[in-house]
Amino acid sequence: MIMALIVLVVIVLFVVFMYNSLINRKNQVQNVFASVDAMLKKRYDMIPNLVSTVQTYMQHERGTLTEITEIRAKALSGTLSDDEKVDLDNKLSKALGGIMVAVENYPDLKANQNFLQLQGSLNEVEEQISAARRAYNAAVTDYNNAIEMFPTNVLASMMSYKRKNVFEITEAERQNVNVKDLFNA
Amino acid sequence: MKNLEELKAYYDRALLPELNVLETERKKVLEKIFMATLVMVAVWAVFIILALKLSDQFAVFAAISGLVVWYAVFAFLTRGYVSNFKTGVIDKIVKFIDDKLVYSKFGKVSQELFSMSRIYNQRIDIYRGDDYVSGMLGRTRVEFSEIHVLYETRDSKGRRHEHTVFKGLFFVGDFNKRFKGNTVVLPDTAEKLLGHVGTFLQSKNPARGQLVKLEDPDFEKLFVVYGNDQIEARYILSTSLMKRIVDFQKKTGRRISLSFVGSRVFVAVPYRRDLFEPRVFRTVLNFAPIQEYYEDLQLAVDIVDDLNLNTRIWTKK
Repeated sequence: MIMALIVLVVIVLFVVFMYNSLINRKNQVQNVFASVDAMLKKRYDMIPNLVSTVQTYMQHERGTLTEITEIRAKALSGTLSDDEKVDLDNKLSKALGGIMVAVENYPDLKANQNFLQLQGSLNEVEEQISAARRAYNAAVTDYNNAIEMFPTNVLASMMSYKRKNVFEITEAERQNVNVKDLFNA
Repeated sequence: MKNLEELKAYYDRALLPELNVLETERKKVLEKIFMATLVMVAVWAVFIILALKLSDQFAVFAAISGLVVWYAVFAFLTRGYVSNFKTGVIDKIVKFIDDKLVYSKFGKVSQELFSMSRIYNQRIDIYRGDDYVSGMLGRTRVEFSEIHVLYETRDSKGRRHEHTVFKGLFFVGDFNKRFKGNTVVLPDTAEKLLGHVGTFLQSKNPARGQLVKLEDPDFEKLFVVYGNDQIEARYILSTSLMKRIVDFQKKTGRRISLSFVGSRVFVAVPYRRDLFEPRVFRTVLNFAPIQEYYEDLQLAVDIVDDLNLNTRIWTKK
């Protein structure tokens, strides 16, 4: 009788432990995504400053600069799903990357103190976003492992936990920026 | 960056004259040690014979204390010679590597900095060090020295035992990114031996903060990372820095540890042998030990390039 009771208690404790660990991982994913969001916002906040600093110099990049401003407006409109946020972010990374490459052709701009400071800040934000993305992927991998591996997968399906996606770069973004196209913008 | 040929040329030109003077001094010191040893052995033998008459235990005590006394006399007699050697030779090698570096033979990285690095959490009872080098390499402020840190325990008989926390080269450098928290990179044992179970146990270490699991498999095989912020740890440990740390570890062949605290990077390279000490019982005129001093120093100085600390493309210039 006592034996059965002890076994029961152990099983209950085990289930509680698994339940809590699943909740922990789900929340960690949300937590890190919130940080990713915050970093992305930091970058969006730098856009107006960037555009105003470079547009007088970079006559040929008007098209890209307009695109960047539009992306920012859409991102800040506030009604995006997570997937749409990620998609916009990828588009922005590509456009910004193009601008930074094009700067090579404007020596006046490269020597401008304001611009250099801005470039440093932008690099920093990009690295932080990259770090946040990596942390998000780690959190999601942890979460996915827990809902798919035995024995936590049993409990996870009872709680209707679904697999989440890691941050991926789409095939289009993976292609290198075509510098020639930039000059025709 | 100097190469071996340049060192050999420098050795011939500037070091040999110093070494000749030191060689003469070394021989004199050896004579003194020899004389002192003869005297001490005689006294020691008499002491032990007398002690045996009293008790066996007393004789053992006499034997051991004889060794301790000999070592103290040895240290005393060689002190001047070691100091002259360091001023004459080590200092010159440091200047040869980079004349913006300053060498201080009795200086050491402060205990405050050592503790601040959070690499070693044990209590520190004895903190020793020497051969301190500091200066500016490019845009990075650096300092490093030999450090020997110990803690003491007392056993049931009340005898003191000393245990080494760390012995080797300790390097502190300005890091090229701004950050607020702390991230510690330690050599990995559990993951290597125990796989998943090892990782699980590592994550349960309360003293160390959160376990940070990174993506580089070569890096993860060698190191385990703890930090107080998952994102900041990855901001610091970019994919390129992780590769560089792995390469550096392969270069040293030792169980190195690193940490990132207070906008600085700390690197701990353990060594069994004493670095930068002159030979007493062999001639100092050979090139081989000079090459060893040079390589040990260059290893520390090269950390700046190995970890790419002079790349300042972010907000920290």
